[in-house]
Amino acid sequence: MDLSGKSYKAYLERREALKKQYSPKQAEKQHKKGKLTAHERINRLFDPGTFEEIDTFVTPADQPVEFGKVERTFGDGVIVGHGKVNGRLVFAYAQDFTIMGGSLGVVHSRKIAKIQEMALKMGSPIIGIMDSGGARIQDGVASLSGYASIFHNIIQSSGIIPQISVIMGPAAGGAVYSPALTDFVFMVNHTSYMFVTGPNVVREVLNEDVTFEDLGGAEIHAIKSGVAHMIYDDEENTILALKKFLSYLPSNNVENPPFVPEDGTVQDVCEKLRDIVPDDPNKAYDVKDVIQLVVDRNSFFETAELFAPNLVTGLARLKGRTIGIVANQPKVLAGVLDIDSSTKGARFIRFCDAFNIPILTFEDVPGFLPGAEQEHRGIIRHGAKLLFAYSEATVPKITIILRKAYGGAFIVMNSKNLGGDFSFAWPTAEIAVMGPEGAVAILYRKELAESKNPAELKKELVKKYRDKIANPFIADELGYIDEVIDPAVTRKKILSALNALSNKWVKVPNRKHGNMPL
Amino acid sequence: MNDKLHISRLFALSSDNRKYSFSVPLKNKIRIGKRDYTVQLKSDDKYGTYILWKNRRYPLEVVRSRQNKYEILFNDISYIFTVETPFSLQRMKVINTRKGKPGLASVKAPMPGKLLDVLVREGAPILRGEPLVILEAMKMQNEIQSPVNGTILKIHARPNTNVMKDDVLVEIKAD
Repeated sequence: MDLSGKSYKAYLERREALKKQYSPKQAEKQHKKGKLTAHERINRLFDPGTFEEIDTFVTPADQPVEFGKVERTFGDGVIVGHGKVNGRLVFAYAQDFTIMGGSLGVVHSRKIAKIQEMALKMGSPIIGIMDSGGARIQDGVASLSGYASIFHNIIQSSGIIPQISVIMGPAAGGAVYSPALTDFVFMVNHTSYMFVTGPNVVREVLNEDVTFEDLGGAEIHAIKSGVAHMIYDDEENTILALKKFLSYLPSNNVENPPFVPEDGTVQDVCEKLRDIVPDDPNKAYDVKDVIQLVVDRNSFFETAELFAPNLVTGLARLKGRTIGIVANQPKVLAGVLDIDSSTKGARFIRFCDAFNIPILTFEDVPGFLPGAEQEHRGIIRHGAKLLFAYSEATVPKITIILRKAYGGAFIVMNSKNLGGDFSFAWPTAEIAVMGPEGAVAILYRKELAESKNPAELKKELVKKYRDKIANPFIADELGYIDEVIDPAVTRKKILSALNALSNKWVKVPNRKHGNMPL
Repeated sequence: MNDKLHISRLFALSSDNRKYSFSVPLKNKIRIGKRDYTVQLKSDDKYGTYILWKNRRYPLEVVRSRQNKYEILFNDISYIFTVETPFSLQRMKVINTRKGKPGLASVKAPMPGKLLDVLVREGAPILRGEPLVILEAMKMQNEIQSPVNGTILKIHARPNTNVMKDDVLVEIKAD
């Protein structure tokens, strides 16, 4: 090739023009908002020098009707491409707020759709970094159909490749459904927002004054709505956490999650586990202490930590293999199952099931949360989601009953006859239809009413119930659990159970799909 | 467009907003005031993780860590801090200037129950995550924790009383 020829010169000129497009001034503007530029985000996510951008030089579509100005820029406000994250192939798109507010034009949406299709074809995870003002008004209905094709692609890829959204700026209107459809949503505190209608419209329509932060900030979505699963205080740490999170996931639904050797410091037999559950059944403890002592050192990555904290969900490793953990948290609301915790658990279990991640359940649940508020909001159909998800999952499922396992909640939390593979109980377990106080009040109502000293009688009966019925030994003798184990050997038992389950195969009935109670 | 990350200094920001800088990789010298001290961070099976200083061991335990947030127990005192890079520190300054006046946080009962104990007093400083009251609900004692750093403004909770869901227990003036 003639390096001084016309075509090579044109090539160089184009590259020069692209460089000019990204001025330090624009980067400064993003930094002043506490944000990084799209390129900086991509560079932090991918291993150095591995990111390959495609469609760099596409330009915005011509407007059907002249209305408003469209900047003639290269790339149309989004960077798409692929590269290596911790050595594994990952696809990504990052919206660039410095170009027309990252608004989604036709070409912009086509680029995203293209990379989504590539990710699905190659069977690799896709990351969407969002920082966009929404649909491009100038492009009209074409940009709306652009959204539709992006949504359709997400749904087509759902359960085949892991899809993760990272919100690093505004996401409003239709745009919010793209992250909502993906498996996990990361958000950055104070600089990212998600809402269907913004504060201005809310003010006009409902006369309600609400700030961006209170309407759809990261904390609101992490604590109240459950839309955001992981939130961090800045973009660098969000990306670092995302990279760590990816290390737990397989590239697609036919591969197994990557093996990460443990450092060997966690003993298979750990006597400390005997000291965590208090003897007094009214005393709470932190179930995460149990998790930390069972899984590989520092390998527990909690998901949706702030939403419905009465149920803990997260990924961890056992002897280097990824495992999904679902655990009742006695420290929060006594670990009851309510609407939020049921839906949180159900979605997490379905994710694990789709991506060949075995599910380990730690159970200490007093029951479903009683009360009119929960009943009226539909705890029945929401609780059914958790039941459905557990029963439907075909990955290895192991349960450790730590303490309380009462009533419907015992059934739901992966009981043996619901399809659980192994069910172990600690000697502290209480497995029964209901707690001692409730059972005594029903079975001995007459005696208690006639008694001269009902409090004393009740105490006596409660003690009897606890000794005779609310223990793990009856269930063990009847075969409804597999074994009562010493807490110290929990990790050892789980490892041997997982080993036995490594070739688990379940024939799934031939159907289009089950009808989950959504 | 190639901004390779070469970070040689990181900052630890404590929960009361004090800043300590340290170099990466970690050196054995730390500077307190104007003097350098030599300390060693070690761990073994017998003593766990500890800091060795002047031939004495000071036990250290990481209680909790979440991305860049840590809670450690050192000499039986717990410290909560975050680790920041120069950029994230700069971002923090930007965000802080945008924040409005310190707000009021009212801690409400998450479910109906009986208050067993109030662990704080009015006017006392409080850190996020520290326990405020013990609420017995669903036959279980629950610790209700502070959602913010701040000062206790008013305590509505009285021990041995019943509360309904969403009753205000404690009001906190956030920092």
